[in-house]
Amino acid sequence: MKDAVRRLNVEYGFNLTEEEIDLVAKQAEEAALLFRPLFEVNVTGITPLTKVDKRVRKTSTARKGKK
Amino acid sequence: MKALDLEGLTISEIAPLIRKKQISPLELTRGYLDRIRTLNPLLNAYLAITEDSAVAAAKKAEREITKGNYRGPLHGIPFSIKDNIAVKGVTTTAGSKILSDWVPDFDATVVEKLKEAGVVILGKTNMHEWAKGSNSINPFYGSSRNPWDTTRVPGGSSGGSAVAVAASLCVASLGTDSAGSVRNPASLCGTVGLKPTLGRISSLGGVEGTGGYTVNHFGIFTRTVKDCALVLQQLAGDDPQDPLSSDEPVPNYTKPIGSPVKGMKLGIIKGYFEQSLVPEVRQAFEEALRMLKGLGMKIQEITIPHMDLVPALQAASTRPEANSDHDHYLRTRPRDYSPGLLYTLIAGLLIPAPVYVTAQRVRRLLCQEFDTAFEKVQAIVAPTLFSTAPTIEECNRGYIESDGQRINLQDRAGNFLTRYTIPFNVTGLPTISVCCGFSSSGLPIGMQISAPPFQEGTVFQVGHAYEKAAEWYKRRPQL
Repeated sequence: MKDAVRRLNVEYGFNLTEEEIDLVAKQAEEAALLFRPLFEVNVTGITPLTKVDKRVRKTSTARKGKK
Repeated sequence: MKALDLEGLTISEIAPLIRKKQISPLELTRGYLDRIRTLNPLLNAYLAITEDSAVAAAKKAEREITKGNYRGPLHGIPFSIKDNIAVKGVTTTAGSKILSDWVPDFDATVVEKLKEAGVVILGKTNMHEWAKGSNSINPFYGSSRNPWDTTRVPGGSSGGSAVAVAASLCVASLGTDSAGSVRNPASLCGTVGLKPTLGRISSLGGVEGTGGYTVNHFGIFTRTVKDCALVLQQLAGDDPQDPLSSDEPVPNYTKPIGSPVKGMKLGIIKGYFEQSLVPEVRQAFEEALRMLKGLGMKIQEITIPHMDLVPALQAASTRPEANSDHDHYLRTRPRDYSPGLLYTLIAGLLIPAPVYVTAQRVRRLLCQEFDTAFEKVQAIVAPTLFSTAPTIEECNRGYIESDGQRINLQDRAGNFLTRYTIPFNVTGLPTISVCCGFSSSGLPIGMQISAPPFQEGTVFQVGHAYEKAAEWYKRRPQL
């Protein structure tokens, strides 16, 4: 992850110190761990939510739950 | 009118008096401006006080009412507006250094609607930098302070709005809520705070980069539930210029207020809201449940299978959306962010696109699980926060201590002060926070009431019944 932060540092011109690169990399690594369980959910047939609409009703695929 | 007379006034009390010309909007406005001048140096609730335009609006309201042209219950009522909502001709900083001199040449739709109703805008309220935090400790404009104990934070990000209402520096205020930024400070300052259904209120004119798109809501601060219904009545509705706004019909929101609640079923979600709940908040919430039962409502446990994924869904939605908005400033002015926010935004650039899209799909699944729960109950109740207001010092060191245990305010899953509010952001459900008690040290505690999409009326019905029975809203901070 540190290499990815270093690439962004150059691309965006952040001028991050090594200590700052460590901090950002740690945050990004923790976020990646947080997001991992999302990919264990079976979302087959489920479209992304972008707007709440009370007329939308659940479909049979919605009840599949975790893989 | 003496400044003291303004304490605790509500729209429902003032409006009939304004209509009958027993209270002058100009006198009222001048009274609040005096109070702001006295107390704002202590509380730092306002970043800008728009005295000239407020006096002009109050004079206009008075002229109209004198001529018999009363517009409705918000006519002549003093409001404040969070500083990430555009008000034409008024500096709108979003609590940031980057926008320190930005003056919008347009009104946000909500501001337009308030002006149409004849309100008096007293000024713009302090907030967390770019609305990216929940304590309103602002490195550029100073921290807002909790009127119940000025060593403590008011919560956030709409901290200044909550302080302004709680300390009677206005009658009502508008804020925004992408992770609890209305309900969190409402809870910590003892006011009512509403986040309506996603799309119920237009978000056109909110500063980009202060809340994202799919979980951000404009919200309302008032002293009472009925006042909140009156304000929502004016603000709700489709906005042709905001594709995320909804064209669902707008009902009469005051009609359910006072309707019988006996026999209503309320749900409590087990296994999520217990995390690190401090004893005094647990006690107050349990006491509130007893009171709701005493009013004839039935409480039952409900299950939301994917509740544990809420923090991931919130982070996976808000962080990439924030990065879309902040890319330009990250490239041109990175050191004009506070260091902590800069690091978070850079880390956000490393979130892969499939995380964002998958999160939106899981969010729909979660919404469907809430829909299923709402087949059994009419509303869900939960504590608004796990604790009362932390001190500024506790926020700066990053943890509080309760019963000898250390509770971190930030963890991998994000900000712990928003852990109880984000379920209703990722689902977009209408949710209100009402005061449900006070700690032994006199700090307010909040309870959330949530209902199915577009059923704000149910939220008001339950909230008003509780508020009327408990009467916590009558307490005022000693300033």
